[in-house]
Amino acid sequence: MTPPGFAAAQALAARHRFKWWEVLPWVAAIAAFFLFPTYLSFGTQVLITILFALSLDLVMGYAGIVTLGHAAFFGAGAYTVGILALHFGWNEPLSGLVAAAVVAGAIGFVSGVVLLRTQGLALLMVTLCTMALLEESANMGAAYTGGFDGMPGLEFAPIFGVFQFDPLFFRAQYLYALAVLLVCFVLVRALVYSPFGESLTGIRENVLRMHAVGAPVQRRLVVAYTISAALAGVAGAVFTQTTAFVNLSVLGLDRAAGVLIVLILGGYGRLYGAFVGAVAYMVLEHTLAKAYPTAWQLGIGIVLIVVALYARNGILGIAETLRGRLRMRRAS
Amino acid sequence: MTAVLLETRGLCKNFGALEVAREVGIRLEAGARHALIGPNGAGKTTLVNLLTGLLRPSRGRVLLRGEDVTHLTQAGRVKRGIARTFQINQLFRGLTVLENVYIAVAERMGVASSMIRPAGRRRDVIDQALRLLETLKLADDAGRRVAELPYGRQRLVEIAIALGLEPRVLLLDEPAAGVPGAESHIILDAIAALPDEIGVLIIEHDMDLVFRFAQQITVMVSGEIFAEGTPTEIAANRDVRAVYLGSAAADG
Ligand SMILES: Nc1ncnc2c1ncn2[C@@H]1O[C@H](COP(=O)(O)OP(=O)(O)O)[C@@H](O)[C@H]1O
Ligand SMILES: [Mg+2]
Repeated sequence: MTPPGFAAAQALAARHRFKWWEVLPWVAAIAAFFLFPTYLSFGTQVLITILFALSLDLVMGYAGIVTLGHAAFFGAGAYTVGILALHFGWNEPLSGLVAAAVVAGAIGFVSGVVLLRTQGLALLMVTLCTMALLEESANMGAAYTGGFDGMPGLEFAPIFGVFQFDPLFFRAQYLYALAVLLVCFVLVRALVYSPFGESLTGIRENVLRMHAVGAPVQRRLVVAYTISAALAGVAGAVFTQTTAFVNLSVLGLDRAAGVLIVLILGGYGRLYGAFVGAVAYMVLEHTLAKAYPTAWQLGIGIVLIVVALYARNGILGIAETLRGRLRMRRAS
Repeated sequence: MTAVLLETRGLCKNFGALEVAREVGIRLEAGARHALIGPNGAGKTTLVNLLTGLLRPSRGRVLLRGEDVTHLTQAGRVKRGIARTFQINQLFRGLTVLENVYIAVAERMGVASSMIRPAGRRRDVIDQALRLLETLKLADDAGRRVAELPYGRQRLVEIAIALGLEPRVLLLDEPAAGVPGAESHIILDAIAALPDEIGVLIIEHDMDLVFRFAQQITVMVSGEIFAEGTPTEIAANRDVRAVYLGSAAADG
C-alpha cells in the first residue's frame, strides 16, 4: 500500500520533467521552416512575439504583476542594439543580445524597485508612464535614436562570423530567432519550476500569506521583473537585428497591448500560452488583414471579447478543460 | 520560573480617531496555552497584526525573547519564530495542499530563492511538508487544489502552513471560525495535538474550547486588556461575565 500523499509528492517531483508533447512546438517551427519558405519573415516575427510574450508571462502569469508597459523593455533592447550598431560599430549579434539584456534588465531593475511598491490600478498607470517616458526619450534623442524616423538600414555582422542575415528570405533570421527563443525558453522553464518560481506563484495567489510565511516579497518581485525585462530586451534586440531597422513602434502602447492580448489569448501562467497565443493572434491578424484590409481589427476585437467572456484561461485553458472532460468520461 | 517568549509593552494603535489598541501589555510564556477573548471589534486581530509586523504600532514595543522586534518586518519576525494563521483564510487557493505547505517549508529552509534546481527535486522540502500533512491528517488531500477542499479542511491548511515555519510562537486567529459543527472536531484535535514546546496564543469565541485548552486567558475589550488570569479566575470574574460572557450569551 502506498502511503497517503505519495501520489501528490510524486506529481510535484515529476512536474518539471519534459513531457513528450513539449517537443511539438519545436518540431512545428522546424517544419514551418521547410513548408513555408516564403513566410519566414512573418515566422521570425511570430518567434519574436513568442519570446516577448514569454517574458511577460513570467511577471504577469506567474508573479501576478499586471503591466501595460512591457514594451518599454522590448524597445530598450531594440534601441540598444540599433544604437550600438549605428554609432559604435558594435554589430556582432550575440554580444548585442547580451548588451540588450543588460540595458533592459537595468531599466527593469530600477523601475521595478520604484514601481513594484504599488499594486493594481496604480501599478498599471506607473508601468504605462514608464513606457511613455522611454518613448518620448527615444523621440527626443534624435541624434542617437533617429527620433521619429528611427534607424533604418542597420547592418549586423554574420552570426558566429559565418551565417549572414538574409535580406530576401529571412532563413538565417528565422533560425537565429528560433535558437534564441529556445535558449530563453529553457531558462524561463527552469525558473518557473524552481522554488523561486513556486514562490512567485505564491505571491500571485496570496501576497498577504507570502508575507506571513516570511518571504521577501518585494525583493522576489524585483528579481522576477528584472529577469523578465532582460528577456523582453533580448526579444527587442532580435527584432532590430532581423529586420535591420528600429523605430518608435517598438516602444508603443500598441506593442505593449498586443503582447498582453497574445498572452491572454493563449493562456497566461502556462508557459506555452505564449506560443499558442502568438501563433493564433498573428495568423488571425495576418489572414483578417488580407481579407478585410479596413475592418480586420474588428475581427480581432470580437475574438478577444469571446475569449474574455467564455475562456478566461485562453486557448490552452479550453484545451485543459476538454482534456479533463475526456479523462472523466474514460474513467466512468 | 518560565521564560517569557513574546511580550508587548504599552502597545497602542489608532486607525484615525479609533483607538484599537490602548497600552496593551501581554505576555506569552514558552509552551503556553494562552487564549485571547473579547467581543467582536475588541482589537484581537489587530493585536495579532501588531505582533507579526503586518501593522506598525503607533506607540509601544514588541519583544520576542527579550529582543525588541518592533521595527522588524514580518519576514524578520518569522525568522525569529513567530507564525500566525488568519481569521479569514489566506491560502494559495489555486495550488495543491502540498504546494501550500511546500512554500512555507521552502521559505523556512532558506531554499525559496533558488532558481536552478527544480522545486520537485527538493525531496527534503517535500518530505517535511508531507510529514506535517500526515500529523494533521491532511495527507489524503495533499494532491487536491485548496479551493476544492471543504472549509474545515481549508482551516487545517491554514494551520499546516504556519506549522511549516516551525514556529516558537503560534498565533491562531479564530481557527475554527466558519467551520460547521460537524467538522469542527478536526480543528480542535489538531490544536490539542500541537507540540508542547510551541507557545500558542489562540483567539477563540467557543468558550468550551477556551476553557478546555487554555492555561491562561486574557480578555480584551475596546482595545484594552480588561482582565487576565487562569480559566478559573476568569470564570469567576463578575465583570468579565457582565461585559463579555453575558453579551456573548445574549448574542446566542
Ligand atoms: N485596517 C483598518 N482600518 C480601520 N479600522 C480597522 C482596520 N482594521 C480593523 N479596524 C477596526 O478596528 C477594530 C478592531 O478590529 P479587530 O482587531 O479586527 O477586532 P477583533 O479581531 O477583536 O474582532 C474594529 O472596530 C475594526 O473595524
Ligand atoms: Mg478578529
